Amino acid sequence: MIAYLLTIVLLLLIAPLLPSFIKALKMRLLFKKPASIWQGYRNFAKLMHKETIVSEEASAITRVAPFLVLSPLLVILFFLPPVVHGAYYVSFVDAFTITGLIALSTFFLMLLGLDSASAFGGMGSSREAFIAALVEPAMVLTIFSVSMMAGDLGVGQAGVNLAAHFPKEHMASFLFAAISFFILLIAENGRIPVDNPETHLELTMVHEAMILDITGIYLAIIETASSVKFVIFASLFASLFLPFGLDYSAPVAIGVFMLKLFAIAAAVALIEVNTAKLRLFKVPNLLGIAIVFAFLSLITFYVLGA
Amino acid sequence: MFQFDTLSMVFTALIVLGSIPNLFYSQGYLPHIERKAHYLLHYFTFIASMIGVVVAANALSFLLFWELMSLTSWQLILTEAKSKKTINAARFYFFMTHFGFVFLLLFFLIVTNGDLEMGFSAMHGVASAFAYPTLLFFFLVLGFLSKAGAVPLHVWLPYAHPEAPSPVSALMSGVMLKVAIYGMFRFLFDVLYPWPLEWGVLILVIGSLSALIGVLYALSEHDIKALLANHSIENIGIILIGFGMGMIFDSMHLKVLSSFAFIAAIFHTFNHMSFKSLLFMGAGSVLHQTHTKNIEKYGGLIKRMPVTALTFLLASVSISALPPTNGFLSEWMIFQSMLGSSHLDNTSLKLAIPFAVFALAMTGGLAIACFVKAYGITFLGLHRSTNAKHAHEVNFLMRTGMLLMAAVVISLMLFTPWYIGQFDAALVGLGHTSVYARLFPEGIWQLHSAGMHGGVVSPLILLGALLGVTALLMFGYKALRVKERIHRTWSCGYRTGARTQYSATGFAGPIRRFFGWLYKPDEHFHKESIAGHGSKFSDSHYEVHVKPLFETTLYDSVGKAANFMSYWVYRLSHFEQTRYAAMIFNLMLTVLFSYRIFAHEFSWATLLLEGTVMIISIKVLIIGEKR
Repeated sequence: MIAYLLTIVLLLLIAPLLPSFIKALKMRLLFKKPASIWQGYRNFAKLMHKETIVSEEASAITRVAPFLVLSPLLVILFFLPPVVHGAYYVSFVDAFTITGLIALSTFFLMLLGLDSASAFGGMGSSREAFIAALVEPAMVLTIFSVSMMAGDLGVGQAGVNLAAHFPKEHMASFLFAAISFFILLIAENGRIPVDNPETHLELTMVHEAMILDITGIYLAIIETASSVKFVIFASLFASLFLPFGLDYSAPVAIGVFMLKLFAIAAAVALIEVNTAKLRLFKVPNLLGIAIVFAFLSLITFYVLGA
Repeated sequence: MFQFDTLSMVFTALIVLGSIPNLFYSQGYLPHIERKAHYLLHYFTFIASMIGVVVAANALSFLLFWELMSLTSWQLILTEAKSKKTINAARFYFFMTHFGFVFLLLFFLIVTNGDLEMGFSAMHGVASAFAYPTLLFFFLVLGFLSKAGAVPLHVWLPYAHPEAPSPVSALMSGVMLKVAIYGMFRFLFDVLYPWPLEWGVLILVIGSLSALIGVLYALSEHDIKALLANHSIENIGIILIGFGMGMIFDSMHLKVLSSFAFIAAIFHTFNHMSFKSLLFMGAGSVLHQTHTKNIEKYGGLIKRMPVTALTFLLASVSISALPPTNGFLSEWMIFQSMLGSSHLDNTSLKLAIPFAVFALAMTGGLAIACFVKAYGITFLGLHRSTNAKHAHEVNFLMRTGMLLMAAVVISLMLFTPWYIGQFDAALVGLGHTSVYARLFPEGIWQLHSAGMHGGVVSPLILLGALLGVTALLMFGYKALRVKERIHRTWSCGYRTGARTQYSATGFAGPIRRFFGWLYKPDEHFHKESIAGHGSKFSDSHYEVHVKPLFETTLYDSVGKAANFMSYWVYRLSHFEQTRYAAMIFNLMLTVLFSYRIFAHEFSWATLLLEGTVMIISIKVLIIGEKR
């Protein structure tokens, strides 16, 4: 139980660190002077002290939605697979619930974008809706395929099963599912090539456009939500597709898990440095690849058993 | 004459739950209806006839109430028959519903052996003795699914539902479509029981197509009630996916999974009744205040109509299948039953069902997009028309109706185990295995999937957790006592105006462009450019219309074919009475011969003989000598 709670707290604590780490790594790779990796915390502290400015066209939705964007993601943190062998975990929550909770958070974020009557907010919501609609099927199929290999539909249980018995005999479908899930990780978190989180041009924004009119603590909450979302995806990837290192003693196991998270963040940074952002209407091609890999994974599992 | 088994009672409960809030809403709406007596008479007969259909115990009373239901709803569409559009929509509905009725009548004529007062269970013997059970199945599918609005018999919904008064659209979409689902349950279970595998696959395919096509056309729709009508097509599709999975599992002898899928289908039927009625009521209130169905003329209504906005939000979250709502629970069950397909020992089915999973997941994603559009454009932002600016909350009775319906939605969310227990009892009454104990092995807190290693969801814990965390966050925010300032929206230094916000057309733009091959949109773009510049213009106008593909291909071409044939008949007959008589004679001969070939044992010799007779008769009597 202690390890369970400790993991949740730790995940929350390092949530702002990972995006800053990606940014710092990217800047270093581009031979720029890197921003501090603590920048995420500094931003958070700064925003906490600011007053909130609410748009005069905004309704009650603007005052409620930020909390509803964050709370489903916080609930998901409790359902993640364990990082230490023998730790307590919630075994029963399945992937649809997690996908649904993420969609709930996105739903309110999109409403938030439309609430301030700004053209940019609507633009961001519209694009996010388009991308989210295509992410959903790939996500469900990928998770279906992984749960077949793990032998259980519950995410927590699947993580434990995969750690106990790595599916060597299903390596092909496992790899396909991993590729698909990694593309989804990029798409859902709005990283290049789907969306550029550091863009300064409103016309190319997706996620940032929705929150242009949000300030102060509300912005801090939304920023936290997006970093928590990254942590959720990264730790799902770490537990389901890199299921090793749980058997060590608790501090070492948690250390290994954190290393895995940073390795995933580094991979995302490398992809960001090496690719350009896709045009919005090219994004479906990328997501189409994810969908095709998810299908391939299922089909190889059923037909070849590999 | 009547029967009151559990299935009938479950569907009676559905009708009652759907009607009681509607009565209040309808009372509040009544002052705006001119022909009050006409409206009330048909309204109450409509509700009574729906109850009559689900408790009818023989073919005669079933058909009587069915027809009464169709006719009263047809008259209700015509309540406010001011425009040509309404009359055309009602005529189309009348035609489609009777198209279905013909097949139901044929079905009953065959399975009752002409004795229409026979009970349903007695029909089973006649049906199993009949040589072509698949034909009976097709009669049922055509008869009921033309009412339920499944692809390709769905085209009437987006016309008929918007034209009816709002309480009636809520009843038609929320309740009447479900009566057709009742028909599927009743007659597939009682009359045609051992189903071949192909039937289930057919229903699954129809369901997947309806779900996707419904939501795609909903996205491109600007008329809020037509948008909701298209969503009814989608949800009927989802119900049919559950139904089809149940049939597939049953024919593969996986009884537990089959019951699970059927329960999911009934549960989704209930959920769709609740949130779709609520959405139609909300749309009706908005329409009532703004006097337009065009979604582009709304905006900012949440400030003027808080009760409508709140209930509409609840229904939107529920129909988008987001946790922890009831819509999520039933879609979760349908998903879980589809994942149970890994237990099938038929590889091609195992490979095919993920495509249905894909369709359902895609539908979910697009439904979220569509309801963000519907809710955001209607209730958020700035008002886009004067009517929207001066709108105010609807009267007490209408609000009561909406709140009561919201209570039904919430009760379906909170008392899921109890409802599922009733659905389970209904299925046991139809001779299926009980799965209640498998779904709730550890009490009411956790809903388990019936499959092996299935998932688990705990609606109440989820709801509690979400509410708790949100409350904690909001409490923390309050405790911080943050200063709040109200200021203009930033829009690059310009003033924010109603016309600079995103429109519904713009919101659905990326999706419309991506699915352009399906929509084939009819776009009109006109701009007055200044001094020949491509990018500078003083005035511009953009319009886009999407005509459903099925209508342009299937229905219009049937119309063309009918035209062509009538022209051909006219050419042959030359207005001569004898030739008309000869044609009728030949038609009767064809019917008699084909009945003989089809209903009795088939033989090539008779076919040849009768074919020759037909050809000679046509040549001699109709075509005659060459002129």
